[in-house]
Parts: sequence; structure tokens; C-alpha cells
Amino acid sequence: MNGANEKEMIVVRDLNKSFGELHILKGITTTVQKGEKVVIIGPSGSGKSTFLRCLNLLERPTSGSISLDGVGLLTLKERDVNMMRRNMGMVFQHFNLFPHLTILKNITLAPVKHKLMTEAEAIDTAEKLLEKVGLSDKRDAYPSQLSGGQKQRIAIARALAMNPEVMLFDEPTSALDPEMVGEVLQLMKELAEDGMTMIVVTHEMGFAKEVASRVMFMDDGQILEEAPPQEFFANPKNERTKLFLSKVLV
Amino acid sequence: MTDFINDLKDTFVKDDRWKYLTNGLVNTLIITFAAALIGIVLGFVVAMIRSTHDKTGKLKIGNFICRIYLTVIRGTPMVVQLLIMYFVIFATLSSKYKIIVAILSFGINSGAYVAEIVRSGIMSIDNGQFEAGSSLGLSYSKTMLYIILPQAFKNVLPALANEVIVLLKETSVAGYIGMEDLTKGGDIIRSLTYEAFLPLLAVAAIYLVMVIILTSLVSKLERRLAKNERR
Repeated sequence: MNGANEKEMIVVRDLNKSFGELHILKGITTTVQKGEKVVIIGPSGSGKSTFLRCLNLLERPTSGSISLDGVGLLTLKERDVNMMRRNMGMVFQHFNLFPHLTILKNITLAPVKHKLMTEAEAIDTAEKLLEKVGLSDKRDAYPSQLSGGQKQRIAIARALAMNPEVMLFDEPTSALDPEMVGEVLQLMKELAEDGMTMIVVTHEMGFAKEVASRVMFMDDGQILEEAPPQEFFANPKNERTKLFLSKVLV
Repeated sequence: MTDFINDLKDTFVKDDRWKYLTNGLVNTLIITFAAALIGIVLGFVVAMIRSTHDKTGKLKIGNFICRIYLTVIRGTPMVVQLLIMYFVIFATLSSKYKIIVAILSFGINSGAYVAEIVRSGIMSIDNGQFEAGSSLGLSYSKTMLYIILPQAFKNVLPALANEVIVLLKETSVAGYIGMEDLTKGGDIIRSLTYEAFLPLLAVAAIYLVMVIILTSLVSKLERRLAKNERR
């Protein structure tokens, strides 16, 4: 079993998060293997976004432990937290592109400021990424000139520019017009095929069925059920999961 | 008509009296721009400390000092601050450094207002921008410098320009410590000719023209910045 252990990328143990009186996460324990695509579903307010945001410490967990490649995250100093975040790309529901910078600069900013690449290397990488997401012609545009779907594809390219080991997606298609959803999901699918480790919070059941290696159902701050998609959608075991699926899979 | 021309000559031409106005104007401009510079630097520093405290809970002592500064400066009249600077804090300084004292007083005063303008600009930036910076591994200060401040600056530019315009007019009280600024220059002419209308009208007109010039410069700059970002 040693071989399997080496592939454990993210290990979460008994994770709790409270906002004041509000207990959001209630003892989350799970493990994500390298190359896995975990799709987290569940009703609004179930804590799935909070869980995702705890993974790269955008939210500080109240208790528990998270480790990435065997390194515990909760005891890291601020500097090391920033180092850790370079390995975890994050894509937000509202894109959060930098409106004052061109698309190219949005992508090159972090690698250049981290001195991981020279300006020229970063531009080179950015151009390749723009090609990958199919937006080479938007190189010198500003975010406000893009559609929602295009913005989200740029946001993905921006995260990829840091060459992360794992990508976190926080409802990446929830703020999009329905006709834009497909292009973003398609890009995520390609990313999955490239072998990227992904943790995706989404309401897109089709995506979960097709891409996920494991579907995780959360409600009330707990993981109620997790299973490979075929099993999860065909034979949900938990009553709450059945109820949820009966409502979303009409 | 000839009376009026004689008045004009008497007020401005005789004994080169117009020089009171031009020399005064030079002093007014020096004080305004040097003080604006101090004010903007000081204001940004204070705003950074205050908003870092608001966002992260750090810098408690710094924030406390900044709040005292803001309360005192915004709670007392400019003229009183100027008099205290000149007659108390720098009482031992030779009076030829008057202009330095004036610049410092107006700069420190302006800084308090700039600080709150800039802070409101920083706080108005969506928290998602901070999170995007953090998620890319950028430190708080880099996120601030490359992502937040450029956007905040653009948002507060009109308010900041307004503050400079206020400052320009506010420097008219520099005469209280014997600075020969524009207002004082006009006043000297009045005391020489016993005629108030023309010199004061000239002084008012000069202030007005400068404010109009500043305003048009700012709207030009605003338009240039807006090109980058059509929301």
C-alpha cells in the first residue's frame, strides 16, 4: 500500500469551520488522490464552497487538519501559505479578473511578480494558454470587453499559468448565461483529460457524471455520501442524497 | 471710463504693484503643490495602515495612531493648526523658513482628508480581487500594490483632485503667519491704495482660473484612465 500512499495529494481530517455562532463545516474527512477529479454537489448553504475555500486557506478552518503532499497547511507561516497557494489554482464563480489589466497581463502578473518567469517567458506561456482556451485574439482586450464565458476561460488560463498541481473550481458556471456554460465545461473537461487533479463545486450534474472520478454529496456541513459517478447517480444510498437527486435530475 | 483706467493703473501698474500678485501666486502654487505631495504620500500611508487593519486585524497600534491623527486634524480648524505649527512647534525656527512651516501644515492637514478618500477607495474594491490575488499566491502587500491600489486610485481620482482644489483655496489663510501668498498680495495692494474692489476681484479671478485649469486637467486624466476599462 505504500505506492498508494504516495499518490495521496490532499488529506483532510475532521475539518471544522464556524463563523461566530454559525457552524458551517462539521468534521469533514476525506482524501484526494493525485489525478482525481472530485465533484462536490449539494444544496445551497451546505458548506461546499466553504470547504473548497478552506483548502487553500481563503477561509481559516476553526479546527482539524489539511495537508497537501504531506505538508500540514494550518501551521504554515504566511509566507509559506502564499507558496502553497501557487500550487493550488482557484477559479471563482465571479471570475475575479483584474479589470485594470489586459487579458495578457492578467495571466502574466502572478508568474512575473513571483519571479518564476521573466516577462518574455511569461508572455510566451500566456500565449500558449490563450491558444489552449481559444482566446488568442483577446490578448490585448480588457476583461470588460469579454463575455462571461470568455472571462471564465481567461480565469482558468490565469490559474494555469502558475502551473498548479491541483485546480479548485468554485461554482465556475453558476454566474454564466446558459449558452456560455458549455464552453467553460468543455475546457474543464479537456483539463481533466490532461490529467489535472481537480476539485469542482458545481450544480452541473452532466459534468459530474461525465468527468468526475468521484462525486461527493454534502449537506449541513457534512459529507453524506461519496462514490464514483455511475454508482452515485444509479444507486444513491443516503436518503438525503436520493431526495436531492430526485429534485435536480428531473 | 478714464476714472476706471486710472484706478487700474493705480492698483496694478504704479510702483509695479502687480508684482504683489505674481509673487503671491508663485508662493501659493509652491505651497499647494508641495503640500499636495506631502498630503498624498501621507494619506496613502495612513489609508494603507487603516485598511490593512480593517481587512486583516493587524497593525493595531498603527491604526490607533492614525485614528488620533485623523480626529485631531479633522476636528480643528486649519488656521489654528497653522498658527500652532508656526508659533508653538516651530517657534524657534527663523522666520525665513515660513514657507516650509506652511507647506508642512497644509500637507499634514490635507493628508488626513486624502487618507479617508483613499481608504474608501480601497474598501470599495470587491473582496474577490483580494481573493484572486491571494489564490495566485501573491502576498498581501503585492496584491495591494499591483491589484487593489491601481483600481482604487482610479476610483478616487475625482475626489482626490477635488481635495487638491480645496487645498489650493485653503492656502489663502497662509497670511496668518505672514506668508505673502496670493490673497495676502491682494491685501497688501488694498492697504496701499485704500481701494478694495479691484485687487480682491483680481485675486478671486486668479484663483478661479487656476481651479478651472486643474479641473480640466483632471477630467483629461480621468478620460485617459477610463479608456482601459469600460464597465
